[in-house]
Amino acid sequence: MRGERQLLRFGEYLVRRACQRLPQDLRKERYREWAAELPAILHDPQVRPAPRRAVRMLGYAADTARGAAMAPGTARGRISRTSAALDRLFPVAGLVAVALEIWAIVQAPGDGLNYLRLAWGLLLVAYLIRKRARPAARLTALLGISATLALGVVFLGNVAQAPEDWVNYLFAALLLLPLLVGLPVAWWLRRLQARTGGRHAAPSDPWTF
Amino acid sequence: MTGPLERVLGAFLTDPAAPRYGYDLMKAAHLPSGTLYPLLARLEQQKLVVSAWETPQEEGERPRKYYRLTGEGIRIARLELAQASARRQRAPTRTGRPVPGSLG
Repeated sequence: MRGERQLLRFGEYLVRRACQRLPQDLRKERYREWAAELPAILHDPQVRPAPRRAVRMLGYAADTARGAAMAPGTARGRISRTSAALDRLFPVAGLVAVALEIWAIVQAPGDGLNYLRLAWGLLLVAYLIRKRARPAARLTALLGISATLALGVVFLGNVAQAPEDWVNYLFAALLLLPLLVGLPVAWWLRRLQARTGGRHAAPSDPWTF
Repeated sequence: MTGPLERVLGAFLTDPAAPRYGYDLMKAAHLPSGTLYPLLARLEQQKLVVSAWETPQEEGERPRKYYRLTGEGIRIARLELAQASARRQRAPTRTGRPVPGSLG
């Protein structure tokens, strides 16, 4: 297959990155094990056509990061400390953005897009503050979804103002499409969970992983 | 017992004596690598699975790691799968939501 070596090298890079999350004593062995599967996946005769094998191999390599994050003794603590620091920083950055938008409205009160940006900024700050207090609450999720929607609408506004700039289309699609697909899927999963009485919830015996 | 674990044990039990490598188990259990490897690590930690490196057949070939259920692993896996199956059979069949106004 053309580009096979590059694909394998990229897969190995992903696995190497994943292994960096593991404790030092596990890294080498896990890398050896996971990287050894890459050529096998890329040459699996049961999977056709070749691009499907390539996608499968890259999916395998990328997902090892999730496996590494779940392994006992990983650097999860370090990640959560970084995440906590960012949680403190983001609301401040959001407030600065809101202040700048208010200033922009004062400068150009006729520009509707500034009001949209301000609405997005306010929703984002509300979401970030709420997330710190009650991360799992329904209102937090609603605020997060609303902030994402508002940002998508801001990019659509940008599209209207500068239709030749493809970046606005890209960001509008990146923000709005996952919501348009994800929200019905989430709604369906919730219904399914309600119907099965939460049977898929994790049990608490030692076999629960 | 979780669904992924049930599928991994089921895959092992199709031929308990046969050593299986990660990708083989991924295909048999229909699980992604990020789910399978932590499961294998835990099973190995609990001494229900043992692993060994293969001897490469050709020069330059990367050896793969093979996993196999231990005797205790086979016993517990069979027991757990049988219990899970019994639980499923005992579970009442659901007939949907009751119609408003009905006794259901």
